[in-house]
Amino acid sequence: MIGKPEWFKRRKYTGWGFTPATWQGWAYITAFVLLFFLITALPVIGGLRTLLLVILAIIGCVDFIHIIIKMPRDERDRMHEAISERNALWAILAVLTIGIGYQAAVSAAHGTKYVDPVILIALLVGVVVKMVSNIYLDKKN
Amino acid sequence: METKIAFYRNKLGITQEQLAELVGVSRQTIISLEQNRYNPSLLLAHKITKALKQGKIEEVFGVK
Repeated sequence: MIGKPEWFKRRKYTGWGFTPATWQGWAYITAFVLLFFLITALPVIGGLRTLLLVILAIIGCVDFIHIIIKMPRDERDRMHEAISERNALWAILAVLTIGIGYQAAVSAAHGTKYVDPVILIALLVGVVVKMVSNIYLDKKN
Repeated sequence: METKIAFYRNKLGITQEQLAELVGVSRQTIISLEQNRYNPSLLLAHKITKALKQGKIEEVFGVK
């Protein structure tokens, strides 16, 4: 892995993810952005450029996940994170449910039956993830 | 929960930062504990009691 979790801090007040906490963190982000622009400016054929961008994206994603998972948290941080994520989820669920209800009502008024499948899939995936998490947690402790 | 962390910490002459490092938490967590705003896990209470060189958890942590 390239980035170290201690270079960053968890984003608490402005969404999800992490933000640099040290100069190494800023250097890491800057290096990624520079690499992106360098690759897009390379005088190579389109296929190779795309391949390089895909490789950069994969490395970035794997590193991002590693940093997020390994970021140092104590038990109070974990409790705060769990509560704030739960509250955010409830807000998202409320908006999605209202959205589906609105879509169903509007489409019914027009004599059709339509709701956005992406919203339905998101809700279904949420149900599955919650079920799997609870099965895992029940077995664990 | 009522703690005597600050009392025993001052007695030992260590800072909040040093205690936090000893027990593996952030300084903010030690501040919250000292201000009785956070109830720690049994494991953390045990670690803090040990770091403050006390024999029993009840000497450091009490129930209001």
